[in-house]
Amino acid sequence: MKEQEAVVIAEGIRKSFGAVEVLKGIDLTAHAHDVISILGSSGSGKSTFLRCLNALEVPSAGRIHVHGEEVLFKDGRPADRKAVERLRQRLGMVFQQFNLWTHRSVIENVMEGPIHVLGKGKKEAREQAEHILNRVGLSERMDMYPSALSGGQQQRVAIARALAMEPDAILFDEPTSALDPELVGEVLKVMNELASEGRTMIIVTHEMAFARDVSTDVIFLHQGEIAERGAPEKMFSNPDTEVFANFISDFN
Amino acid sequence: MNPIELLIQYWPNYLEGLWVTVQLAGVGAILAAFLAPMLAIVRLNGHPVFSIPVRIYVSFIRGTPMLAQLFLIYYGSGQFRPFLQEWGLWSFFREPYNCAMLTFVISSTAYQIEILRGGLMGVPAGEVEAAKAVGMSPVSLYRRVIFPHAYRIAWPALGNEVILLIKASALASVVTIFDLLGETRLIFSKTFDLSAYLWAALLYLALTAVLVWGWRRAEILLSPQFFKSGRT
Repeated sequence: MKEQEAVVIAEGIRKSFGAVEVLKGIDLTAHAHDVISILGSSGSGKSTFLRCLNALEVPSAGRIHVHGEEVLFKDGRPADRKAVERLRQRLGMVFQQFNLWTHRSVIENVMEGPIHVLGKGKKEAREQAEHILNRVGLSERMDMYPSALSGGQQQRVAIARALAMEPDAILFDEPTSALDPELVGEVLKVMNELASEGRTMIIVTHEMAFARDVSTDVIFLHQGEIAERGAPEKMFSNPDTEVFANFISDFN
Repeated sequence: MNPIELLIQYWPNYLEGLWVTVQLAGVGAILAAFLAPMLAIVRLNGHPVFSIPVRIYVSFIRGTPMLAQLFLIYYGSGQFRPFLQEWGLWSFFREPYNCAMLTFVISSTAYQIEILRGGLMGVPAGEVEAAKAVGMSPVSLYRRVIFPHAYRIAWPALGNEVILLIKASALASVVTIFDLLGETRLIFSKTFDLSAYLWAALLYLALTAVLVWGWRRAEILLSPQFFKSGRT
């Protein structure tokens, strides 16, 4: 029954860089309202896997299905490039380094996708952008350029930019790792709000408390494979595998 | 004749020459500006079948004097007159003005390709990824993110190229064209007054000064993030 509400399905995702296989066939299903945290030590392939979901990293093999849009990957190429674009429109992405368009103002960053990808009118896009920026607490900064903002503010703009596309799910690639410690909180707070309003989110993170308290599922990657997956309460209190037990003990 | 008298007597000739120079350099630079972006993409990302010829073309133009290129086209086309007539191109090549214009377009395109290549390579990779991540088509990606950055980076160097082209356009006077330098040579041959060249130099200087000013205004428009008050 649950299968019908699946928003994102990834099957058999493999990725090799030259002779090195960094992802060895990973499956993931995100249902509506799921908040999935992907954990793993450096080099485990967690960021690569997340970037495979919207084909920023093109999988060597596998199948990705997002809300009716399906793309097959074979021999390191997507079967249909246009389908990749449609897939990306349905998945928001928030980067570690924010990656705002520095030549556009804050509100232009948020309006860009709706206007130039979804074909919305300028007026409608502006109203929507104002609304979203208001929600992430940046209504005062709308006409500034990204370089004038703090890291935390930039990341909130990046989240607003993702939301403006009205995505089926949002991918977060270590969204707080590039922030000064005192700015982490404001970004996590926004992410928390998104989770509690039922957004489907897939998050690569090092914020153990966030993963434990906010996510509905946790996936632990180790050497390109899923070593352990399950509900956070269970995994953090009583891990099944030694690798995950060691991993979380490093954070305590 | 003192310099002022010379100017009073010959200013219409100077203006005519100046206008020809503006046309040759201006139209040449603009046509090159239309050709260069596509070729720069090919040079950078194209299949070797296309990118290698572009590289050879750029190397050839950058490695040879523009005067030699002009002679090659102007005198060279005469050698191939029967062919060109057969192809219906002779009426184009028999005009020295067209030969000069063609030389400037070919030359400036090569330099602009190389300048834009540098600009394209300087586009922040993360911003390109962000554009892909919202599902932009390749055309939108270039139009909305890549070229705005590439041109901002390349802008000062492109201005330099246009200035060099303005000055190089004086070569046209060698193939019987009465551009600014051509007119000046004519004036000098009538007066044997060196101040004829002084006025020409000042007019070239004025032309490039106007260009530098306009280029700077455009740079400010191109880079709002650096000039618009938005910083706290």
